[in-house]
Amino acid sequence: MEVQIPLLTILLVLPFIGAIATLFMGGERAKSAKYVAGAFAGITALLSLLLFFANDLSFYDECYGWIDTAGLKMSFALGVDGLSMLMVFLTSVTVFLVILFSAAEKDRPNYFHTLILAMEVGLLGVYMAQDYFLFYIMWELTLVPMYFMISWYGGPRRHYAAIKFFIYTHVASLVMLIGIFALAFNAAAITGGGYLADFSFAAVAAASPLFGTTFQILVFGLLFFGFAVKMPIVPFHTWLPDAHVEAPTGGSVILAAVMLKMGSYGIIRVCLEVLPEGAVWWQPIVILIALLSIVYGAFACIAQTDLKKMVAFSSISHMGMVLLGIGCLSDAGVTFAIFQMFAHGLITTVLFMVCGLTGHNAGTREIPLLGGLAAKMPIYSAFMMFGFMASLGLPGLVGFWGEFGVIFSFYEYTVSIDMIWLIIFCLLSLLLTSGYYIWAMQRTLFGKETDKIDVAHVHDVSLSEGLALGVVCALIALFGLWPDLALGVIQTFSQGFISGVMI
Amino acid sequence: MFIEFSWLIPLIPLLCFVIIGFFGTKMHEGGGYLAIAGAAVSTLIAVLVSYEYWTSAAFASGVPYVASMEWFAFTSTTGSFVMNVGVYIDSLACMMMLFSSFISLLIFIYSVGYMSHEGNKKRRYYAEVSLFLSGMLGLVVSSNFLEMFIFWEIMGLCSYLLIGFWSFKHPEGDAASINAASAAKKAFLVTRLGDVSLMGGLFVLLYAFQSLDYTVLFDVNNIAAVDSNMIALAMLLVFGGVIGKSAQFPLHDWLPDAMAGPTTVSALIHAATMVKAGVYLTARAFPLFVQVEYVMLFVAVIGGVTAFIAATMALNNMNIKKVLAFSTLSQLGYMILGLGAGGYVMAIGIKHGDPALIAAGAAGYVAACLHMMNHAFFKALLFLGSGSVIHAVGTEDMRQMGGLAKHMPITSKTMLIGSLSIAGFPLLSGFWSKDLILESVMDAFTEPVGWVFVILWTLAVITALMTAFYMFRMWYMTFHGEEGHAAKHCHGESPRTMTLPLMILSVFAAASGLLILFGFGDTVCIGFDGTKFIVGNGHGHDAMYYLEHIFTNVYTYVTILLALLGIYVAYLMYNKKTLNPGRFNKEGQSFIYRLFANRWWFPEFYDQLSLKLGYGTACGVDFIDKQIIDGTVNGLSSSVVGGGEVLSRAQTGNLHSYAGVVVGGTIILAVIAVALFYFMGGI
Amino acid sequence: MIPIEFFLIFGGILFAIGAYGVLTKTNAIVILMCIELMLNAANINFVAFAAYNGDVLGQTFVMMTIVVAAAEVAVGIAILLNAYKSKKTTDVDELTTMRW
Repeated sequence: MEVQIPLLTILLVLPFIGAIATLFMGGERAKSAKYVAGAFAGITALLSLLLFFANDLSFYDECYGWIDTAGLKMSFALGVDGLSMLMVFLTSVTVFLVILFSAAEKDRPNYFHTLILAMEVGLLGVYMAQDYFLFYIMWELTLVPMYFMISWYGGPRRHYAAIKFFIYTHVASLVMLIGIFALAFNAAAITGGGYLADFSFAAVAAASPLFGTTFQILVFGLLFFGFAVKMPIVPFHTWLPDAHVEAPTGGSVILAAVMLKMGSYGIIRVCLEVLPEGAVWWQPIVILIALLSIVYGAFACIAQTDLKKMVAFSSISHMGMVLLGIGCLSDAGVTFAIFQMFAHGLITTVLFMVCGLTGHNAGTREIPLLGGLAAKMPIYSAFMMFGFMASLGLPGLVGFWGEFGVIFSFYEYTVSIDMIWLIIFCLLSLLLTSGYYIWAMQRTLFGKETDKIDVAHVHDVSLSEGLALGVVCALIALFGLWPDLALGVIQTFSQGFISGVMI
Repeated sequence: MFIEFSWLIPLIPLLCFVIIGFFGTKMHEGGGYLAIAGAAVSTLIAVLVSYEYWTSAAFASGVPYVASMEWFAFTSTTGSFVMNVGVYIDSLACMMMLFSSFISLLIFIYSVGYMSHEGNKKRRYYAEVSLFLSGMLGLVVSSNFLEMFIFWEIMGLCSYLLIGFWSFKHPEGDAASINAASAAKKAFLVTRLGDVSLMGGLFVLLYAFQSLDYTVLFDVNNIAAVDSNMIALAMLLVFGGVIGKSAQFPLHDWLPDAMAGPTTVSALIHAATMVKAGVYLTARAFPLFVQVEYVMLFVAVIGGVTAFIAATMALNNMNIKKVLAFSTLSQLGYMILGLGAGGYVMAIGIKHGDPALIAAGAAGYVAACLHMMNHAFFKALLFLGSGSVIHAVGTEDMRQMGGLAKHMPITSKTMLIGSLSIAGFPLLSGFWSKDLILESVMDAFTEPVGWVFVILWTLAVITALMTAFYMFRMWYMTFHGEEGHAAKHCHGESPRTMTLPLMILSVFAAASGLLILFGFGDTVCIGFDGTKFIVGNGHGHDAMYYLEHIFTNVYTYVTILLALLGIYVAYLMYNKKTLNPGRFNKEGQSFIYRLFANRWWFPEFYDQLSLKLGYGTACGVDFIDKQIIDGTVNGLSSSVVGGGEVLSRAQTGNLHSYAGVVVGGTIILAVIAVALFYFMGGI
Repeated sequence: MIPIEFFLIFGGILFAIGAYGVLTKTNAIVILMCIELMLNAANINFVAFAAYNGDVLGQTFVMMTIVVAAAEVAVGIAILLNAYKSKKTTDVDELTTMRW
């Protein structure tokens, strides 16, 4: 008999060991913490690549008993499918690149890396969990390192931002927890088996067709609120710009590229899969707030003067696009929403790295103070332009496919409800997106060379930063030219995903 | 045997882009020679492919050569579609790739001289123009709308990069840098507006046809299965993209500003790539456009209005490149007008099954295609000529030029050929195509709402007069009369790499229109036999038809006379100086003069619109975000903190009050419990 | 046999006296004594119910209460001594430092 290697557990344990190891590398050894962290994150990333070559993802399915007492059943269950796999890949690669990018971190580097690796454990756990209790624990686990990341390594208003981030998203998670309890207890009641509450995905999924409509609508609301705050969507988004502005570059990248995806991941994984009738009832509202997020975020970007805040708002706009795809409740919508999640993860990695470089290398991120950077920092400018173009949806880069597919699915939906004009909002947002990016580029990279910053200290990207950016840009181009690479994986998950109730 | 490799045509410049982009600094001329070689190979392959296609059986039976492979497939419960990449070669594509690659090749050669002072910026220049060419050629050979759209956007990106080539470290200082950056932004955003519309059109088409392949979309049976209102909506949206890319009214305003880039880039944008893409798309999607006649009417009106408005703006502009830019707008308007008028007639013909009308409509298509090609040659010539002048005198202001003819004989003569050609001087290339377009507009007179076409025709004829006038105003102001301030410092004739392309182009600019007498109308044309659309062979007209049509029509002579009149007036005003232009415009104070000089106040309008509507809304949203939404969040948190502050006052520290509360609370609980028991009726 | 109501009324009176003392007296030592009264009121109830039900559990609880009360008095007086050392008073109205 072939011995199965518990790959998913290894994926989770490796960064955990790394986090512990770097935690104890104080004092003299702090300088080498980045090598240790890089090694652990690198091996994790390489192992996650293995999943790409798996014929059948259900092969990787691990379940260990955990808590089975007093009528409660919680297990340490891990598994991947087309949706999880992309997110796991995105997480592990992003974390590795962030460590590479932050090689120059001087302030307590060991703790910095501990926090990043701890976040990786939480994120991978969320994406691989097959048990709601594990899911929730991992979800909360991401919160704590991020809090310390912001409040230890952040900017001048870091304490405000960190507390706002923590409380805001924590309140949302608690609402989500109520929803999870409702699912678990109700599932156990329906399926029997002698449990008071059964937290496994399988049990809840099995009970799902028997959930009553009112129950579905209520629980959908609770869970959706919890996930939507994380995404975030308007009007529950205000923690995001503050958190991003204050967070260090590495934290911002992980926050935007991977952590926001937890929200949309949860909506697809829990809300849609388990509560289809609730989804149908909530659909108009979901669509409405998605459109609101898209247009609102895009308009808000135009008015920002902090480059990083602008990118943060653009995340809101683009995550609104993800929600729009989900809200269509069609195979195409979900498929391209997932693609958009993946695309946005790659692209914001570039964007936030570039913003971090602006602050670090040019001294300020205030757009009115900048100008003519293209002459001083050509490589930086090229990356910035690439990132902006990818984000505004230039065809041939990864961002285009997500937007194209989502808007097309939305068009299908508007035809079905006979309101084609709704599509105008999406098209308007595309235009606004180009508007703020191009305008920002005009004011930072081009024109008169600035005299408001210390020009003597302006320097271009370093080798490790350039390498990290280069890898992401290559991925953006690769998945842009060959979308099937990701679409094929997604379709193994999303094909036939939308159940009969929703059509 | 070559046609199988037609995918190489866009790929080779793309390869050049990558190589130059990474290694350009280590190459001679910043990779310029590689770019030239790439364009040359593309041209060569284009020639071979075109030759093979035009001698193939496919051409003889009026079908395109199509080869494609699957890119990605999407299947779902609601519908599935397959995205292909491939090539779609027909006469139109052949013509486009021939002149695009050939003119680009000449422009690249010219660039070696023109950009010689740019130092290490050359790498960026040659990389970007290679990508630009790749975008255009890719667009031409694409086999479906999505593939086309990708190249379409790549061209948008390249135009942004190239118009903003000097958006930092401009040789003339910071103000020019800011200007270039602003022009690049405008070009990108205005064309993006069109692109977004085009994308909307693609959604409608994709939904209606479940495919974006040309072969599927142009199939009559598939078209018949789709609601014609949907097609009309899709085509209007697609035409929105054309309006943006080909700079038609009302999105024309980016093109004059785009002059901030190097002159070679202007030549590339105006002659070989970018703006031609819009016209090409209209011609490419002709089978869909002609399904609904009012769409074509709209197209024609937009074209006619653009032609007229743009020509008026050119009348009193002092910048040599801007005059040419306006003339491009005007000529593009002609092409769109030709397509619109021809399409309108054809649409009515298809509706009524009238072969004569279909054939008449096809003539408009032929005329527009011919004009597109002719325009490519003479506009490339004129821009490169103006570049040669600017290179020599260091200014773009025509008032500072004058009398350059003796310093720059080759430039002067070649530009004269170009000017005559664009002005419609008899038997030069512009004459043929412009006259055919006017003819096809006249063909629509007898159709429903023919009066619209009477107006459009009148506008077009007046435009022809204005074209002749402003082109010769430009030529005389530049090359004749007294030497201006800058002309005194003229370096003399430009180097051979620059004059050689001029001379080659002047031959084509003079003669390309004659192709109409050698089978052009029979090759690049479209027909409809009731069951399918026929591209190319067999459904056009022969040379005699066109000769007869042109020279037996009295209005042809009117147009010729008007063109000659325009040239003569320009001669009197700017060479002989017997006629003072100031007499007609109150020395630049009249309303009309200011209207034209301010481009009908379009730039102000757009600036105000984007500032008030765009930025204003953005500031409003930002206010709401900071004050109301975030205000609520912060308010909630401070109310929690404040509430805690207030409630904590209850902790007085006095033992008696605590004990009192405990006892009081117990008593209240006991009372409630007793009351409950009482009202519930005991246990 | 004495009716159980007598014990209960006696316990109630004892409790009320204790509660009154706790609420009105300002000397901490008196308050501690009043608390003892209240505890013993509860003890009497326990013992009475235990005797009438023939169940020793109530008496067990009384043992428990006495032990806890002894410990509580020891701790309470120790705290009080410390408070008196630092504040020179046993008046609870003046010992109000443990507030917001």
